[in-house]
Amino acid sequence: MSAIAAEGQQSIASVSAKRHTTLLHRMRRNWWGYVFVSPWIILYIVFGIYPLILSFFLTFFNYSFVNPENRQFVGIGNWVRGIEDPLFWKAIFNIVLNQSVFIFLKNGLGLLIASLLFNIKFGGRLLRTIYFLPVITSTVVLMTIGDNLASPGGPIQKYLIDLHLLDGPFFWKSEETWPMIVIALINTWKWFGISTVILLAGMYSIDARLYEAAAVDGANGWQMFTYITLPTLKPQLFFLLVVDVINGLQMFGEVFSIGFNVYGGINNQALTPVLYLYAQAFDRSNVGFASTLGLLLAYIIAALTFLQFKFFRTNEN
Amino acid sequence: MRRAKAFSPTIILSYAVLLLGAFFVIYPFFYMINNSVKTGQEIMHSPTALPEKIVFTGYTGVFDELDVMLLFKNSVFLAGSITVLNTIFSALAAYAFAKIPFPGRDKIFGFMLLTMMIPGVLFLIPTYVLMYRIGWVGHFEALIVPSIVSVFNIFLIRQFMSGIPDELVEAARIDGAGEMVIFTRIILPLARPALATVAILTFMGSWNDFFGPLLYLNRPEQWTLQLGLLQFRGTVPGENAQQIWALTTIITVPIVVVYFFIQEQFVKAFANVSLSK
Repeated sequence: MSAIAAEGQQSIASVSAKRHTTLLHRMRRNWWGYVFVSPWIILYIVFGIYPLILSFFLTFFNYSFVNPENRQFVGIGNWVRGIEDPLFWKAIFNIVLNQSVFIFLKNGLGLLIASLLFNIKFGGRLLRTIYFLPVITSTVVLMTIGDNLASPGGPIQKYLIDLHLLDGPFFWKSEETWPMIVIALINTWKWFGISTVILLAGMYSIDARLYEAAAVDGANGWQMFTYITLPTLKPQLFFLLVVDVINGLQMFGEVFSIGFNVYGGINNQALTPVLYLYAQAFDRSNVGFASTLGLLLAYIIAALTFLQFKFFRTNEN
Repeated sequence: MRRAKAFSPTIILSYAVLLLGAFFVIYPFFYMINNSVKTGQEIMHSPTALPEKIVFTGYTGVFDELDVMLLFKNSVFLAGSITVLNTIFSALAAYAFAKIPFPGRDKIFGFMLLTMMIPGVLFLIPTYVLMYRIGWVGHFEALIVPSIVSVFNIFLIRQFMSGIPDELVEAARIDGAGEMVIFTRIILPLARPALATVAILTFMGSWNDFFGPLLYLNRPEQWTLQLGLLQFRGTVPGENAQQIWALTTIITVPIVVVYFFIQEQFVKAFANVSLSK
């Protein structure tokens, strides 16, 4: 009995010793692997993990770039101030409005164009190339063009006035909510090409026999779209939605490059959370408070991403 | 659906909508270029009309008021060095993740993918604090060093390299080739399409970036084209429409020309991102 136990123990010991040596052996034999990934690891520790910790640390202080020695510990003061700050919530409202319009239009248009491209035989590649043109163009350039086209007295407004859809010049930049909608429209123009390409690639991966079988059963085009195309595109749509929400809620460069100041205009009509954070950090030198705003926004983004994953999972089953 | 007849109403309607879409996409670019060769007066009074006479005063004006060559040089330097470094270092890491079975590899890779989900806004302030402390604010290093390697590019290249047969690499190892030799002689030539894709995307990203330069390059002699445009628009309102259209055209044309030569690769890169999970 004890002999068997001893033998068993011994064999376990030898197995684990063997595993140990093979692990070391494998590490030694593949040490180049560590060398090759080390640039990323080092950079991520310095420019990823360290800033993340620093960011959290900064939220408990009043801190300015210029004299960091004079930092003051304020406890959770910045957090309370952030949550109570009406401007932060106005910025959140603005960005949610902006992104709701943008994400809906961009992916809706992408889906429409992709289905049409999927239908045709000739010229698809050229058209796709054209739709992708705004994607590769810089934000500052596109916002300059968009701003000019939509400006009071610009071509679009002139055209609308000629059609009697508009009474006179419309100064949308100083209105509430309108800047957010116009920026969403320009951004739709910029980014729908990506949705188109991603969804089109998804459509090509669908088994053509499904459509043939559906056609035999007498399904029409719309039925094929809703029962075959859309359900199969779920991974692509999910991917687009998750990425759009993460990126979209951080939008601010567009506001800046269409000509608003860092406070999003006189009534903060175009203020977005990251723009507000930028203004607090670089205009008012409230670095600790700005850090807190960043974390608050990150929590909101994380919560929304989590909800999307949950919703997608339950839909799956 | 694919089998619709060549001239059915659906097909005709599809083409009609697609062409209309193409028109709306192209028109703003046409508007920009069209106005860049008109006089200021004409731009004011008839912005949509074709030029009565093609003039290049906008272009000469920009070159008079801004040191365009310097801006161009800075943009090329910044985008160029980031592209070269990032492609090399991302490819190295991608090769390790795809073909070297070092212990802990899958865990590190999984962690790396997870970091892509962290919103960039979190890094904005602390990175600036860090750069300020190192003394890199006002230096190109602040933009180049953090961009030496990127998760997204490692991921894209790794997906491609995973498709290269293991036997190729193992045979070379048995023959006594070192990892560096295998990487440069066997893997890199085979992975050329993926490297091209990554290089293009990286170049486009840094060429078009204005926020990084805005934050870190505060001396005019370091400005990039994007910053030049932003500042130019800010300083002289109204009067200089001609120059603005000329400058936007100057910024846009290089990237569009590059794009038309390699668009297939480019478009595929974006499609691959969502398909390879």
